[in-house]
Amino acid sequence: MNSLPPPLVVDNLSFRYRDRQGAAIHNLSFTANAGEVLLIAGASGCGKTTLIRCINGLVPRSYKGEMTGKVLVFGEEVADWKLSQISQKIGTVLQDPERQILGTKVVNEVAFGLENLGMTREEIYSRVDEALNFLKISHLRNRETFSLSGGEKQKVALAGILAMRPSIVLLDEPLASLDPASAQDTLDAVRLLADQGLSILMVEHRVEDVLRIKPERVMFMSEGEIRYLGTVSGLSKVVNYREVKLPAEDIFERARADPAPVEIKVLPGVANSQDRQEALVRFENVAFGYESDLEILHGINLEIHRGDVVAVLGPNGAGKTTFVKHAIGLLRPKTGRVFVGGRDTHDSSVAEIAGMLGYVFQSPSHMLFAPTVREELAFGPANMKHSKQQIEQEVKEALKIVNLSEKENDPPLALSFGQQKRVSIAAILAMRSRILVMDEPTAGQDYQNYMNFMDSILQMPGFEAIIFITHDVDLAAIYANRVLMISDGRLIADGKPQDVLRDFDRLKANRIIPTSLLALNLKRLPETGRFMRAEALAHV
Amino acid sequence: MLVAWRYRKRENSFIQSFDPRAWVIFFGCFLFSTLTFWDVRFLLFFFGIALFSLFTSGVKWHEVRFAFLFILGVVFFFAILTFLTGRGGSEVYKEEHLIREFRASFSILGWTPVLKVTVERAFYAVSQLVRVSSMAVMTILIPYSLNPALYGITFKGLGLPDKFAYAMDLTMRFVPTFGRDFQLTMDAQRARGYELEKISGGLVAQVRKLGPIVVPVTIHAIISSEDIIDAMDLRAFGVGPRTWLDVLTYQFRDRVLIAFGVFVLVVSITLGVLGYGKFWVPEALLNLY
Repeated sequence: MNSLPPPLVVDNLSFRYRDRQGAAIHNLSFTANAGEVLLIAGASGCGKTTLIRCINGLVPRSYKGEMTGKVLVFGEEVADWKLSQISQKIGTVLQDPERQILGTKVVNEVAFGLENLGMTREEIYSRVDEALNFLKISHLRNRETFSLSGGEKQKVALAGILAMRPSIVLLDEPLASLDPASAQDTLDAVRLLADQGLSILMVEHRVEDVLRIKPERVMFMSEGEIRYLGTVSGLSKVVNYREVKLPAEDIFERARADPAPVEIKVLPGVANSQDRQEALVRFENVAFGYESDLEILHGINLEIHRGDVVAVLGPNGAGKTTFVKHAIGLLRPKTGRVFVGGRDTHDSSVAEIAGMLGYVFQSPSHMLFAPTVREELAFGPANMKHSKQQIEQEVKEALKIVNLSEKENDPPLALSFGQQKRVSIAAILAMRSRILVMDEPTAGQDYQNYMNFMDSILQMPGFEAIIFITHDVDLAAIYANRVLMISDGRLIADGKPQDVLRDFDRLKANRIIPTSLLALNLKRLPETGRFMRAEALAHV
Repeated sequence: MLVAWRYRKRENSFIQSFDPRAWVIFFGCFLFSTLTFWDVRFLLFFFGIALFSLFTSGVKWHEVRFAFLFILGVVFFFAILTFLTGRGGSEVYKEEHLIREFRASFSILGWTPVLKVTVERAFYAVSQLVRVSSMAVMTILIPYSLNPALYGITFKGLGLPDKFAYAMDLTMRFVPTFGRDFQLTMDAQRARGYELEKISGGLVAQVRKLGPIVVPVTIHAIISSEDIIDAMDLRAFGVGPRTWLDVLTYQFRDRVLIAFGVFVLVVSITLGVLGYGKFWVPEALLNLY
């Protein structure tokens, strides 16, 4: 009896984009089996997304360039297939669920591909219900897609793919915008699909999260090539633990052989000054709601002091962003008061508050607009009516701190994502804001990039305190010296990371999943007295 | 939220008791018919239809308050502007009967502002007000009454090709997303001390000062559209004739509405061709002046 050919064979595949120099991927060869989860990891720009596009047919149909080698699906070469044919064998879930959901209602979204294939309505309804049932989201069937949470959106997107009954599912960073519990839900659904016999290829930075669903194999890519392909246990032996986020125990073991990491000097701008006690920001019984009858924040009381590095944790929709917007004056409390630098925000303009607090949004493309980096940085200070010489000085210093002096005349939108992120920080530095506020500072960056980014921000002179919103509990554990946990608009915990993050039941109740680093830190806490990164723990 | 859907299912709504295609056809007939007339007696018939649609729509006053105040404010402003300047109406009437003339007690560079109140100007302002208000009321009701999820199939049902009809659906789907992006950019720039309300200078300078909002929003829309196109391609959009999941079926009342709309349009055009419905001023009023 002849055995069925494997679902996917990639044979000596290379591709170069038409408008770029150098191949994005070189000579990739591997096979994906039925019923397995193949995790694909690697830094930004390593060619993961290009590989996905070559498999799902977007390369060379939508993205032109030179392609050599073959992609075989069940033994047949897909180069001559129509996209409609490919889409019935290979389903793709993209990174941002917001932009791949096309239907206004869930049922229409899941049906979209089937409608395009011109199936009968009976067949479409039956497949839609089957996909929704399989993912246990039938209750969402008639909801508006815009009102879904990130995790629900990602599952609806997955249902839209499943309805087309593919044999292979490609997932391109499906967890990027999800909170830990939603990520876990999505991963469980993915495992279920593999267990049903589908072949899953998942590109993801959050390696440690994916390891929980026990992927059969891991591929590690670097500069367009496969550096490792094999079992999970072999991965930690071949890759650098600074490039990929491995489980804390693995880093701990590996780092013992290396020299101890250099301890970073947090907020060097904060001298051991006397005025540490004076609050930079003070919330007094703050309550807020967009509509009169619906309160989003209730009774928030807290102070932010010099030297505070504050991580704000909490589930999606808990009120984290609303809280931060009060500090920067974008929102004013309905009752209670917020004081910034001793002044009530009711009596200050947002521009005045910007001198004290600077807010960096998740995506730099939401704020960058100027033709040159210099003009981008001068925008804030000019709005604040600083003098010309003063602005020149501020821009120069800010550029120096973020190490972008040589990019002064470049258009910010032409820089890499990491550089854009640094420009957005410099824009705040140039305003001489004393407190840096960041929303999901690590979003869209790979592990090595975001760790370097956080290291450099914490060591920047010029800031007196830092506040960041995050879903990443490890980021809070490593970098913060104070953790605020917000749930249902209330401040339910405020304290040192080792005090707030030790209560695993509370974390789980707030959609935060304890990590291996957290567990390791708690185990070693009697010796260390504080939380630290795994490689530092190895040298205590 | 910046963008919130105004549509919802309403109890006992007259508009919503029809197939959206039937209402769109009727709306089209209504607009064209209204445009045929300047005679306020004819226009009152259309104004009556508009008011009837409004009061039976199930839309609550607090929902439409801002839209109405804005639109009616604009309509009033232009009606008064035409009344004061006398321009605009001069195409529909030849001679004017003066009621009263107001002459300013001052001159600017030798020019003395004069306001002539004539019967024609006054009636023209009234006609304009009734005409534009009728159309405005009917138009405002659409987003409150027609389900955005059905826009695609509505236009498909009116005979437009799949791709165009789906583009309508897609627009409705992404309006809130782009609204959210706009709000994010607005917040990001305000946090850098940018104050939209304080923009000043000439028109060009003002447009240029919108750059910090317009550039990021546009760039974001372009980046997003690449993902949206990928997502559509990957699910076989445009490979052949597509099935539309939602089905619209004409009922008897829908046919009646369409027939009525078409009848009104035909009668209006016929009357227009025969020379009826032009600008009208009561004879008795003219005799007074």
